[in-house]
Amino acid sequence: MANPIVSPVVGWFAKVGRAYHITLEHAGALGILAWDTIVALVTLKVRFRDVLRQLHIMGVQSLPIVFVTASLAGIVTSQQGGYQLISSSPRYVLGTLVVQSVVLELAPLLTAVVLVGRIGARITAELGTMVVSEQIDAFKSLGRDPVAILAAPRIVAGVLTMPLLVGFANVIGIYAGMLMADLDGGLGKETFFYGARLFWHSWDLFYGFSKSVVFGLVIPVISVHMGLRTRGGAEGVGLQTTQAVMFMILTILIIDALFPPLMLQ
Amino acid sequence: MISYKNIHKAFDIPVLSGVDLTVETGEMFALFGPSGTGKSVLLKTTLSLIVPDIGDVEVDGMSVYDGPSSNLEKIRRKIGYVFQHAALFDSLNVYENVSMGLPEDEIARMRTADLSRRVWEALEIVNLEPREILSKLPSELSGGMKKRVGIARAIVGRPEILLWDEPTTGLDPINTAAVERLIQRLSKELEVTSLLVTHDVEGGLHICDRVAMLHSGTLRFCGTPQEFRDSPDTVVQAFVDRAAAIAALDMAIV
Repeated sequence: MANPIVSPVVGWFAKVGRAYHITLEHAGALGILAWDTIVALVTLKVRFRDVLRQLHIMGVQSLPIVFVTASLAGIVTSQQGGYQLISSSPRYVLGTLVVQSVVLELAPLLTAVVLVGRIGARITAELGTMVVSEQIDAFKSLGRDPVAILAAPRIVAGVLTMPLLVGFANVIGIYAGMLMADLDGGLGKETFFYGARLFWHSWDLFYGFSKSVVFGLVIPVISVHMGLRTRGGAEGVGLQTTQAVMFMILTILIIDALFPPLMLQ
Repeated sequence: MISYKNIHKAFDIPVLSGVDLTVETGEMFALFGPSGTGKSVLLKTTLSLIVPDIGDVEVDGMSVYDGPSSNLEKIRRKIGYVFQHAALFDSLNVYENVSMGLPEDEIARMRTADLSRRVWEALEIVNLEPREILSKLPSELSGGMKKRVGIARAIVGRPEILLWDEPTTGLDPINTAAVERLIQRLSKELEVTSLLVTHDVEGGLHICDRVAMLHSGTLRFCGTPQEFRDSPDTVVQAFVDRAAAIAALDMAIV
């Protein structure tokens, strides 16, 4: 008979142990994937054509959604900033607020979240389907390295694409914010950029781009890792894709929270 | 020759428990057994697609797990693997899929015309008309055609051994018979060693030199088709009777 006092305690420790085990397993597998990718790159096993294809999918095809997201982020920041500052601060501060918000936080974070949905989920579902339909096994049986063919091009493309998309989002977000400030509050372009320049630090741009490089690495690495771990049929693919999206979003938010203490002190 | 030595594998529960099996060079060998007894798992250990917990596989004297890592590369070149559902690469057309069956370094050394000729020949061997399907994507092919393209991909590299993982699964009886004839013809024409995992017991008994049966993760029987039919083992007999009943039902439907 189960001991009514010990069992919940043992059960709790068992749960913690399982969570610890799963976390270590994921961490180990992510490390191996990153190492295999580096080896594939160094040994020139990665085809340029595959990287180019992924650059197109991740970069060029993401431009419309990044444009919309960045525009709306700039517009909303400008409107809400104007509303908050109207009676307490000089109007040019709105330029500072919009530019700093977009460059430091909104462009990298929102672009990353958009890419999790557009690219991360796609990669996990695509590779997961390849696992359950034995295409990954087929690659191996034919002497091909799935990491070199499938993982490395996506990871390289993610790291290269993300900073470019964030740069694009910066420009769009700032201009959308500036136009909104002009339409909404009559704040001219010169006044807006006067405020932006007044508190501008070049470091902020580096800070935002550093975030984007890390996010650009995290999204494909996690999505590839989760895709290649898929088990079961269509249900397994769906479940793994959902978990991958959750895993990516959480990781991005945690990394985002770690950046200010590490780089803005 | 393929030798499976004391293969153990568990996925939460044991699937294979100490399987020893040898497939001789040039022989056509069928592996039977109910679903979930580890037939495909055993087949996949040959190419390290699934790594056994204990045991080793030797292909022509080369160890897959105890030897140098270069062994696996050499073994993979010797073997053509036909997957249960063809496992064609979705984003590649038929030409690209079949040419993937050739080693990368061989493709790099080949002229485009030679590569095309090899792909063309492989498709003709499996009774497909290359001109009509070369540029088609797998999603544009029927189930039977996908299987044939999968077979063409497995044989284009001129392997010495062919592993067939339930090649007739999901096919109607007419296509099943056609694929069985193809397996038999290819094994004879290409002079390869064939290891066939199948649920189609009647077909396997008809075309193979020797057969084996896995039951509950262990090897229950190994011998000639006639010995299999005449086996006094009640488990084997029940399996043969059930398979015969299913085959009769299939024929009645046809």
